[in-house]
Amino acid sequence: MALLEVNDLKTHFFTREGVVQAVDGISFSVEKGKTLGIVGESGCGKSVTALSIMGLIPKPPAKIVGGEVLFDGRDLTTLSEGAMQEVRGNQVAMIFQDPMTSLNPTLKIGTQITETIRAHKDVSKGEARKRAIELLDEVGIPKAAERIDDYPHRFSGGMRQRVMIAIALSCSPRLLIADEPTTALDVTIQAQILDLLDALRQEHDMAMILITHDMGVVAEVCDDIAIMYAGQIVEQADAFELFDHPEHPYTEALLGALPQLEGDEREIRESRLTAIPGRPPDLVNPPEACRFAARCPYSGSNDSCTTVEPQLREIRPGHLVRTAHPTSERSGERETVNA
Amino acid sequence: MAVDRREAALPVAAPTTTTTEPAAGAAIRQSNLWQDAWRRYMRNKAAVASAVIFVIICLYCLLIPGFWKIPGIWTSLKDYDPNAVDFSQSYAGFSLDHPFSTDKFGRDLFARVAQGGQISIAIGFAATFAILVIGVLYGSLSGFVGGRLDNGMMRFLDALYGLPYLPFAIITTQILSPSGAVSVWTMVVALTIASWFTTARVVRGQVITLKENDYVRAAKAVGARWYRILARHLLPNTLGILVIAVFLELPGVVLGEAFLSFIGLGINPPTASWGSIAQDGREAYRLHPEVLFIPCLAIATLVLCANFIADGLRDALDPRTRETG
Amino acid sequence: MSAETASTDGALLSVTDLEKHFPIRKGVLWEKTVGAVKAVDGVSFDVVEGETLGLVGESGSGKSTTGYCILQLTKPTSGSIRFIGKELTTLGREDLRKMRREMQIIFQDPYASLDPRMTVGSIVAEPLEVHGIGTRRSRTETVRRLLEIVGFDPNFTNRYPHEFSGGQRQRIGVARALALNPKLIVCDEPVSALDVSIQAQILNLLKDLQRDFGLTYLFISHDLAVVRTMSDRIAVMNQGKLVEVGTADQVYQEPKDEYTKALFAAVPVPDPHRQRERKAERARIRLESPSGSGNGSVA
Repeated sequence: MALLEVNDLKTHFFTREGVVQAVDGISFSVEKGKTLGIVGESGCGKSVTALSIMGLIPKPPAKIVGGEVLFDGRDLTTLSEGAMQEVRGNQVAMIFQDPMTSLNPTLKIGTQITETIRAHKDVSKGEARKRAIELLDEVGIPKAAERIDDYPHRFSGGMRQRVMIAIALSCSPRLLIADEPTTALDVTIQAQILDLLDALRQEHDMAMILITHDMGVVAEVCDDIAIMYAGQIVEQADAFELFDHPEHPYTEALLGALPQLEGDEREIRESRLTAIPGRPPDLVNPPEACRFAARCPYSGSNDSCTTVEPQLREIRPGHLVRTAHPTSERSGERETVNA
Repeated sequence: MAVDRREAALPVAAPTTTTTEPAAGAAIRQSNLWQDAWRRYMRNKAAVASAVIFVIICLYCLLIPGFWKIPGIWTSLKDYDPNAVDFSQSYAGFSLDHPFSTDKFGRDLFARVAQGGQISIAIGFAATFAILVIGVLYGSLSGFVGGRLDNGMMRFLDALYGLPYLPFAIITTQILSPSGAVSVWTMVVALTIASWFTTARVVRGQVITLKENDYVRAAKAVGARWYRILARHLLPNTLGILVIAVFLELPGVVLGEAFLSFIGLGINPPTASWGSIAQDGREAYRLHPEVLFIPCLAIATLVLCANFIADGLRDALDPRTRETG
Repeated sequence: MSAETASTDGALLSVTDLEKHFPIRKGVLWEKTVGAVKAVDGVSFDVVEGETLGLVGESGSGKSTTGYCILQLTKPTSGSIRFIGKELTTLGREDLRKMRREMQIIFQDPYASLDPRMTVGSIVAEPLEVHGIGTRRSRTETVRRLLEIVGFDPNFTNRYPHEFSGGQRQRIGVARALALNPKLIVCDEPVSALDVSIQAQILNLLKDLQRDFGLTYLFISHDLAVVRTMSDRIAVMNQGKLVEVGTADQVYQEPKDEYTKALFAAVPVPDPHRQRERKAERARIRLESPSGSGNGSVA
């Protein structure tokens, strides 16, 4: 049985301008010890998904209006706040994007770690402190025993993210959710943090959900990948399968839009990147049918794209896609120009 | 390189491929910044109520004292003459003829408070306006130029902060009117001089923040001269702060004038201002408290409304609640 | 450090020994200068007309500061900047103003680079107004044409920036940069704040404009892949110094400097088949280099 199973999760935001259907029926599962990457551009609902799992969505105006989040068989959406606090930090931990604002600037980092430990485990202050030093060491903070009494402002961005990871790991959670953990960091630091996360995951036999907009990052770190667009999952497969055989037009376009790092100079210089025309749909009134149709080069005027909402279907074993025009069924189809 | 490109501002080559680039599309939302702010302001019930009351008070002060000159409007109104002395009506108490009672000299207070309001509110707005002008000039110069000039100007300001507000105002009035009769303009000048610091500091802070914005750098990169940057980019973006500053300074000035007049160092009777009317009421407040109480109530109401309006404006114009993208 | 020091006389832009120091001031009542942060520490390179020089580096490398110094938006502490044969650092105010018509900039943040109180039309017209070009009517026409060129609907000139998305606003920024028909455009991280699919739109646009109008770009970015796709030659900066310069092929395929090698090994490549070898590459570099990583420390 999967460690985490999300079924048909729907989270809506009830605002003055209307109901924003931020997450509209997504399902996925995460196995013990594996990493799932959730990829999408801004506004697709990936962060809201993570916050919904953790029960951290702002209760007005947001609300989980449907679906279930099964962690070890228990539906987290039905738990009271008190029961949820038991789970948070202890069984499921989360690290956020901006290390500058995720740590309390007025508390020493040692305190921030030990307070998490003592909130969930019955240990003495001394034991908690010892564990904190071990953790800082494990995440690669040099001179951990001395730095445990430093305040966050004495650390650089990358170090602060390491501290965040230490806090997240302090109670040995079974699942770690990382929401854009390296987006605010330099690329060399990003690589260090990602390698660290991977190593820690293997050592602690943790499952991980990595949320990002960066296709390169998921390629390097994730076992399975889900692509989100406009509040829905449009493609899901294991990493190798997804990059070797992308099926959804959006996935193809995303990959085509990526500037290439390696290759022949002349080719790269002259080439044009695949640009997706238009903008993601308004989530207050999402299209009745395929949400990508307006921007899709393959949707025609007389096919189902604008009338029927495509369902997620298994096009190959373990490879799900939500489109009427997957790549492998598209031989010889002409691209129609969509303005 | 000395080709004069004045006439050929636009590149001549006809673009051939830009038509294949997906067009940017329609605006994502149509709205006016001021409309948005208006809507937000309207949602704040206290702010709306305060604005209404404020307007009512201003109308009251403006219209009532003149009504007795207009024949046939309402026969009783012709009695609302702020200057009609009638000892038989002294301390007459509340009645339809005298909704706010009368003072020692039998002058109707309903009209007198209105007339006093004219002076008090006029002083308030005049001083506030002067504070804004001085504050904007000083603050924007200091913030825009920066460096040592800014340092020096701010240290000078710090020194001025050390001076106590009311004594400073009193001394200024005495210097300006050694003969003892404090005119309205003297009050305005004195109150302005004593309270322009905060606005200057706020404007300076805003200018310094705005200076860092990329659009200011863009204007510099294009070659805009400093006065254009100040006038077209910096000052218009401080409008929001200034509008709020008006309603924050006004209470201070009105209270300052009221207090000074009350203790006899400001507007003196027979000229009516809320403070001087209150001063009149001091004599007999134990027997006829309304003569003291009513002008004070007027002051308090105006000040409270101004504060709520300022609060509402601050929320309405807060850039944080605007779209962040 | 392997730096290409050949200084072509025909270069459009020639930067020599550029330095920019920010003084560190301490003290409460009297501020004393106790030291300086060397944001740019002796940088030299040339840019030939019509080419794109990519300036790449992580945060704190000094790349943006270099761009601002070239445009004289920040006064350099020392060094020479020759642009179209003129020495910019010693130019008088009016002459500098005239030179500004030949060098423009596109900023990173589409939300902060447009004055929220000005209409789109006035924003794009401002460069023309500042230099007294044309009449009001001809400027309106010019603005419409500029917006069309960048793919922005010219009927929206009376709208305000906040009504548009990031990608659209960036197009407005590009139109503004083009207004004076400059020879050089400094692109300061122009797509870093945009989503990948919008990035592609703007990068394609910039490529088209370069080809159509013979523009020269100084393209500043931290994103190695983006720089690769835009640049003919590449300069790598680290902590204020230029550590490597060369053609794109040279720098990307045979990096000579340790920092450059570490930088490339760190970029995540969208190809899961390569992840194991890239992880091994990074581990190897970490072992070889005593400091551990690019910025000189474990961060």
